[in-house]
Amino acid sequence: MMAKKISAMDIYKLLPKINCKKCGESSCMAFATKLQERKVTIDECPILKSPKFEKNRKKLEELLSPPVKEIWFGYEDKKVILGGEEVMYRYELTFFNPTAIGIDISDSLPEEEIKKRAKFVEDFVFERTGEKLKLDFIALRNASDDPERFVKALKIIQENTNMPVALCSLNVESIEKALDIVRSKPMIYGATEKNFSEMIKMLISKKRDKKEFALTLSSSNIKTLKGMVKASLEHGIEDLILDPHTTPENIMETLDKFVMIRRSAIERGDKLLGYPILGLPINTYFYVLKGNNPIKQFVEKLDKAAAIMEARTACAMLNRYADGIIIHGTEVWELMPILTLRQAIYTDPRKPQTVEPGLYPIGNPDENSPVIMTTNFSLTFYTVTGDFEKDGVVCWLLVMDTEGKAVDVAVAGGQYCGDNAKKLIEETKIEEKVNHRIIILPGLAAPVRGDIEEKTGWTCVVGTRDSSQVGEFLRKNWNKILEEWKAKQEL
Amino acid sequence: VDWSPPVEKYKGYIREVQFGRPKSEGGRGKVIKIGGQRTLYRFEEVQPNPPVVTFDIFDMPMPGLPKPVREYFQDVMEDPVEWAKKCVKEFNADMVTIHHISTDPKLKNTPPKESAKLMEDLLQAVDVPFVIGGSGDPKKDPLVLEACAQVAEGEKCLLASANLDLDYKKVADAAMKYDHNVLSWTIMDPNMAKDLNRRLISHGLDGNRIVMDPTTCSLGYGIEFSINTMIRLRLAGLKGDELVNMPMSSGTTNAIGAREAWMVNPEWGDRRYRLPLWEITTGLTMLLCGVDIFMMLHPLSIAVIKEFGRLLVS
Ligand code: B12
Ligand code: SF4
Repeated sequence: MMAKKISAMDIYKLLPKINCKKCGESSCMAFATKLQERKVTIDECPILKSPKFEKNRKKLEELLSPPVKEIWFGYEDKKVILGGEEVMYRYELTFFNPTAIGIDISDSLPEEEIKKRAKFVEDFVFERTGEKLKLDFIALRNASDDPERFVKALKIIQENTNMPVALCSLNVESIEKALDIVRSKPMIYGATEKNFSEMIKMLISKKRDKKEFALTLSSSNIKTLKGMVKASLEHGIEDLILDPHTTPENIMETLDKFVMIRRSAIERGDKLLGYPILGLPINTYFYVLKGNNPIKQFVEKLDKAAAIMEARTACAMLNRYADGIIIHGTEVWELMPILTLRQAIYTDPRKPQTVEPGLYPIGNPDENSPVIMTTNFSLTFYTVTGDFEKDGVVCWLLVMDTEGKAVDVAVAGGQYCGDNAKKLIEETKIEEKVNHRIIILPGLAAPVRGDIEEKTGWTCVVGTRDSSQVGEFLRKNWNKILEEWKAKQEL
Repeated sequence: VDWSPPVEKYKGYIREVQFGRPKSEGGRGKVIKIGGQRTLYRFEEVQPNPPVVTFDIFDMPMPGLPKPVREYFQDVMEDPVEWAKKCVKEFNADMVTIHHISTDPKLKNTPPKESAKLMEDLLQAVDVPFVIGGSGDPKKDPLVLEACAQVAEGEKCLLASANLDLDYKKVADAAMKYDHNVLSWTIMDPNMAKDLNRRLISHGLDGNRIVMDPTTCSLGYGIEFSINTMIRLRLAGLKGDELVNMPMSSGTTNAIGAREAWMVNPEWGDRRYRLPLWEITTGLTMLLCGVDIFMMLHPLSIAVIKEFGRLLVS
């Protein structure tokens, strides 16, 4: 049985229906549609705030709350948001909050190491298609099982970074002491079947002292987990995260549980399982590090093998509803595919991946600089400009409106063509910027070179296949191309 | 509280496709089956066949193969027969894909007859089933595939591919005449996949001889398009659409073409690990979207995907 999907009509019925446009939409119905697509929030309708509509507002809140509750931790100005999901498959709508990635730091490390690692997590950036991909939180692990060490490590992290933290310890005393000094709203990992009543008791008293936290519940049995959710809610602990155990011996079991939890919440409307899921690829890391190396024929070094296998677990979890993960490895080559996959899965399929077409000066181009023509697909645009920046290419970049298609796709689909090139040249007035009439085309656009020359009257030179080779190409050829063209004009 | 696993009822099923012919029926030996699922997830029902990886090899040294791949095959790249043997002996290949790239008129323009000769030698050399690929030239491919299909008669290979840019009827005819399967390749559009399958079936090809390739965009280069397409096709199949309930194939090797995989760049760390991991991430994502057969290149990536695939059937 599918949980019922709410329609814009269901929402509309609860709105004031006076079409006053104060929300910025043309009508209440338009606002309802936007609400349904989660493009606006109910706060944007001022009328709903009046006492008359209090009941409706409550009903709307209930109606619009996603089947997977949104939970946050961290600092007010630096939040990690987990969950909030509505669908099983991204094509049905979109996924909302990208899987938060936490990096493990052990409290047994020397002080300097803790500081270094924490800084690394905070500063790490991998830039792709104009987006800065980053790590989200620090998972401080009470490896020493010593509350004092735990607290000391937390202090080091707080003094040196502004990163949200997960306090990872099954030792209730450690968590209690850490809560006393923590400056942010932490994620607590966690309450297990074993420490449950003791942990909850301590947390209830902290709550009374106005401490805020998100609590991870951990059990390999989903039914037990559900019972733990119920018990926590009864004690007023409502910001929950679920950990159905990550078992590196058979990672499929873990993934199955992720799916069962998510499907129960979304398709069966099971409210008690409607919480974010936490995955622990770090378990795979240490499992391999201990000598369980399934790829030793190819990678003998245990730490490298561990990182590869950890990344494979992380990647599988990103594909199976993990809202947060904790990993140990920090090699760039391990983080890159994880971050890239996350970026892909969480792009909004409802939005075209485009940039504004037009003319972009790269570097400080002048009247003798080359004119280069690419497409307005964001992946293409950012790859090209990234390459140019790295290689110090100076040029006039013409970005054609190909409806967000890559070069070869647009060539095959007919959007990268003479007519569009002509339009682009006219609209950008590029001929006033340069004293030549030469366009460099991507190698993949070779088949439409004739068409573009014919429609625009500009000379087209087919460049390299990959934009990373353009710098080299220009250094070798641009002066020659320009001179030859000038010589031809004089004839 | 109570809870039971959220198991769905599916009206449809995924067809099972067989590669290879057993010795008992006069074949060369190894038989591989893919597909046959009746559910989406393992917890609903363990799937009958594990996903299969087929090793890419080329009939001439593939230009531009990056070093982390070349270092495994340097010694055999001039000799596809040795290359196939190495895949089977050293890396336990279950299947091999021979790409007859030299048949490209822009490369060596090798005649179909010569490709067929190579095909015979390959069939002699190893006992695993083959995927037979051309060069991508739409005029030449059907001829090459036909010639190779003939010498491999009865071996239930996978002819790669039938698509809308070429004479797909010729490819289907070769499969019907010589007892093979067909890879039905379209570009990331579930409707296009359905359309091509319909055409192949109405031409007379048995639907149980079709494997769909809805195109794999690599990690970072549109993998989200592939995720959507694969999932939609698999769900439609399980819901009972008999025009798209074929097993699916992924050209995972595409991932190696991504610059994040092949490019030497100290800021991105060691390419020896980065490259296979890019291929693994791409393949694993496709696997979790339902893909049944993977064309891959790096032996390490293949090992990881195979190890993962085994979990699906246990
Ligand atoms: C993702 C994809 C799609 C997506 C589109 C996503 C998008 N927004 O573009 C969808 C599903 C929509 C799609 C549709 C189609 N596709 Co398509 N698609 C692809 C795929 C897998 C990747 C394209 C990509 O993202 N490339 C990455 C970007 C960054 O590359 P790029 O734009 O080319 O930029 C690079 C270079 O060109 C260069 N560069 C860029 N600018 C410049 C400028 C200069 C001066 C220089 C020198 C270099 C340079 O550097 C960049 C970085 O390397 C390719 C196959 C492949 N290449 O792997 C097929 C592919 C491009 N598609 C193909 C086809 C046939 C189609 C369709 C026509 C299918 C159909 N019959 O409907 C449609 C056309 C749609 C349309 N235009 O209306 C074919 C094209 C074959 C051909 N050349 O004739 C391809 C090659 C697949 C194949 N092998 O058959 N596709
Ligand atoms: S502000 Fe509220 S009442 Fe006014 S149009 Fe928008 S939704 Fe309707």
